[in-house]
Amino acid sequence: MTRFSIKIVGASGQGINSIGAIIAKGLKRAGHFVFGYREYPSLIKGGHASYQLDISSAPLRSTERKVNILVALNHHGLEQNLGDLAKGGVVLHVTPDWRFPEHDQNLIKERELRLFYLPAAELLKELGAGNVFSNVLLTASLWSMIGQDVETLKSLIQARFASKPELAALNVKCIEKGFSFFERKTEEALELPPPETKVKDDLLLTGSDAMGLGAIHAGVRLFAGYPMTPASPLLSFIADLENATHTVVKQAEDEITAAQIVSGAMFAGTRALTATSGGGFDLMSETISLNAMIENPTVFVLAQRPGPSTGLPTWTSQDGLLQAVHGAHGEFAHCVLAVSNSQDAFDLMPAAFNLAERYQISVIVLTEKQVAEALYTQTPYDLENASIDRGRLITDAMQLKALKSSDRYCSEADGGVSPRWLPGSLAPTYCAQGDEHDSKGAVDESEEIRRAQTVKRLRKSDLLKAQLSEPDLAVTIGCQPHDSAELELGQKLDMLIVSWGSSSDVIRDVLRSDEFSQQKIASLHYTYLWPLRTDRLERLARQAARVVLVEQNFRGQLGMLIRMECGLNITEKILKFDGRPFFYDEMRTLLQEKLEPDKQRWTTAATMQLSTNLCDPM
Amino acid sequence: MIIDSSKTRPSLSDYYSETMCTWCDGCGNYGIWTAVKMALVELNLRPWQVCLCYDIGCNGNGSDKIEGYRFHGVHGRVIPFAAGVKLANMKLPVIAFGGDGATFSEGVGHLVHGLRSNYPITFVLHNNGNFGLTTGQSSALSWQGRPMNWNPNGIPERTLPSMEFVFSLQPTFVARGFTGNIKLMARILSAAIQHRGFAFVDLLQACPTYNHFATHNYLLDRCYDANAEGHDPGDIEEAKALATQSEDRIACGILYQREDVPNFYERLVPRKDVATTCVEEVKKYDVSMYWKHLS
Repeated sequence: MTRFSIKIVGASGQGINSIGAIIAKGLKRAGHFVFGYREYPSLIKGGHASYQLDISSAPLRSTERKVNILVALNHHGLEQNLGDLAKGGVVLHVTPDWRFPEHDQNLIKERELRLFYLPAAELLKELGAGNVFSNVLLTASLWSMIGQDVETLKSLIQARFASKPELAALNVKCIEKGFSFFERKTEEALELPPPETKVKDDLLLTGSDAMGLGAIHAGVRLFAGYPMTPASPLLSFIADLENATHTVVKQAEDEITAAQIVSGAMFAGTRALTATSGGGFDLMSETISLNAMIENPTVFVLAQRPGPSTGLPTWTSQDGLLQAVHGAHGEFAHCVLAVSNSQDAFDLMPAAFNLAERYQISVIVLTEKQVAEALYTQTPYDLENASIDRGRLITDAMQLKALKSSDRYCSEADGGVSPRWLPGSLAPTYCAQGDEHDSKGAVDESEEIRRAQTVKRLRKSDLLKAQLSEPDLAVTIGCQPHDSAELELGQKLDMLIVSWGSSSDVIRDVLRSDEFSQQKIASLHYTYLWPLRTDRLERLARQAARVVLVEQNFRGQLGMLIRMECGLNITEKILKFDGRPFFYDEMRTLLQEKLEPDKQRWTTAATMQLSTNLCDPM
Repeated sequence: MIIDSSKTRPSLSDYYSETMCTWCDGCGNYGIWTAVKMALVELNLRPWQVCLCYDIGCNGNGSDKIEGYRFHGVHGRVIPFAAGVKLANMKLPVIAFGGDGATFSEGVGHLVHGLRSNYPITFVLHNNGNFGLTTGQSSALSWQGRPMNWNPNGIPERTLPSMEFVFSLQPTFVARGFTGNIKLMARILSAAIQHRGFAFVDLLQACPTYNHFATHNYLLDRCYDANAEGHDPGDIEEAKALATQSEDRIACGILYQREDVPNFYERLVPRKDVATTCVEEVKKYDVSMYWKHLS
């Protein structure tokens, strides 16, 4: 798979995202798979930020650290990002008379970098356009550099300014200017991997957009939230559509409120959602415990960023798994699942609500900054796939009349899941009781009731576990996807990789590279993380020469849960906890090292080398 | 509970619960409990037609002493839960109950935003001037200087002026009742439940076990029906003056009410001209039109 990458760097607020978005859209429409990745500090203006697009003619969902083109909107980019360029890479910049220090000059020579200075200020003066148009010039120049058709770019910009024809006209002039600036250097144009025409009609969206679409698809009618990165883009997406979808959107006074409002709304019988990050989730945990006691179906999105405390607000992490599994007080059944990309961010929303209602439990959907904000090329979603399953919810008038108050929390109910009916139904009433209670919700502190109700609530966990999917298995033999069913028959594996969340797509991209052409590798990818199913893992682990755990946290939290649940101790780990996602080239190296015999058992990602003595896990 | 829909009107006995009351002798909760039932019956509401949400505290111990769809939550959080129920089902009358302990300490932010949002719910403050269920600690409304559990030398903090606080938040309905006057409480509650927005109902009650300052007799001597004496709930200045004055005489009744302020739900542009409730709208939605701009 041939890859190509463009990195746009500059200050936050300088417009790198809009350049990235336009280029991505144009390339996708031209038939290229694109994957967008953003890095930015937690501030509004200034600071150094980047938007990278990785491009290929096959599906890709990963970022490579070495880029082919660097677009620098200011001189900080020239100072800081020159080293990001691969051999033969190109720099496009707007800083006049920039003198590279000696070490950078050497780098330019060594890597045979080519530099292009776009005299933006002069060109804009000629056009009578203000400085704000410098991004349009740059975009057009870049567009020409990668050998694209100018008309595509024009139509994209014109569509954006459809309501402002004068502005559109000036933009078109800038495009022509920027495009022709580079056009004169045709011999310098870079070649992208050949386009794939079927991508044209794909969507280009973030994991948050995908999750928002999934939530609306799943019948979410009320959304309450409190701002917190990286959960906020989901709230924005749903709020931006509120008039079209008639959704009730409430910006709550805190995360406790958001959690309580959605719990009240779910109790009333609608589908409601909230989303937050680690700190906000701490505040919601009391409400999750409450929902367990009153057996109120609820769904919470936990968008992870590196903690503890405020940590790295705009960076990525998988350090919230144990928080989601063990965050709230008391013992109860609940479900934790994790999205990995724009496909399952959509698919898992109806799934989460169905699980919540089927078992009358809280479902926590983990996402990560990396998934929430990455830009994916996505085939349009299958809208037939999902169903709405409301479990034992009773709405039929005859059935309602036949109910007794004591049916609501009946401890003998099948699998612990008792009938549920909604306030306002013409039926006997009950109390959704946060204290320990009898079958109709009256407070009862007797030993018998406590035992019976505890068993009732926890029995649901067994039922749920038996019905959850095992982790997905992808097998690559000689860098080709392979029928995973065959593997179940006891074939030997060179390596079994165990991961969850965004890591799995990077692993998938890497396993398709030629470096692994001689290997038989299986990648086991967990979506349903609690209750944790381990049968398939245990079976495959016995077939594998080595088992490697890949996570974006320090402790290997999934590994801890696996050991807790089945005793399997995965000692070979690739752990990353520096706020950055796994990069394609980084993962490739790390996995190659794992295949070398007698390598250290504990690997951390490149930037954070730990002493193995200090941190040898078990 | 047996539903008898043959009767044309509900009666108090429809709200009868077999669960025994466990409040102390002389507790004001008996009066509130009775007045709530009277108000619901007067409004022709049957148990299945109402949602009663209880906070933690002695008020919450009433959650299983009455019929109706009920919820008993966690300390201080009843207002947002009740708001969630209501926003999901606007056809359902929702009443939230909470004590002065939870409401003016752990849950005070929710009271602020409940008033500010003007949610279309009734909030009933069981105001007994202390944390009763946790055995007599001071609340923000207990009197400064009084010795209480955990404050044997007297409460060092100032008493929170609850009515000044509430009026500073531009309420749309403020009433005060006294648990010795059940009929008045029922009248207040009935008006509160029919109010367009957030109805704040402050019910002064005795806590015979822990509150030795604002006792039943103390309240009995001072509380009077201000509406019977001609107070017009439309007059905000007089309402404020009556509400904040509690030294010699304590004005009860509907102190302030205005029906010209839209509630939170009415202000939601996406819900304009939508006749159904969020509960009724749960189904699978075609979202393909929302991804058009993403291609």
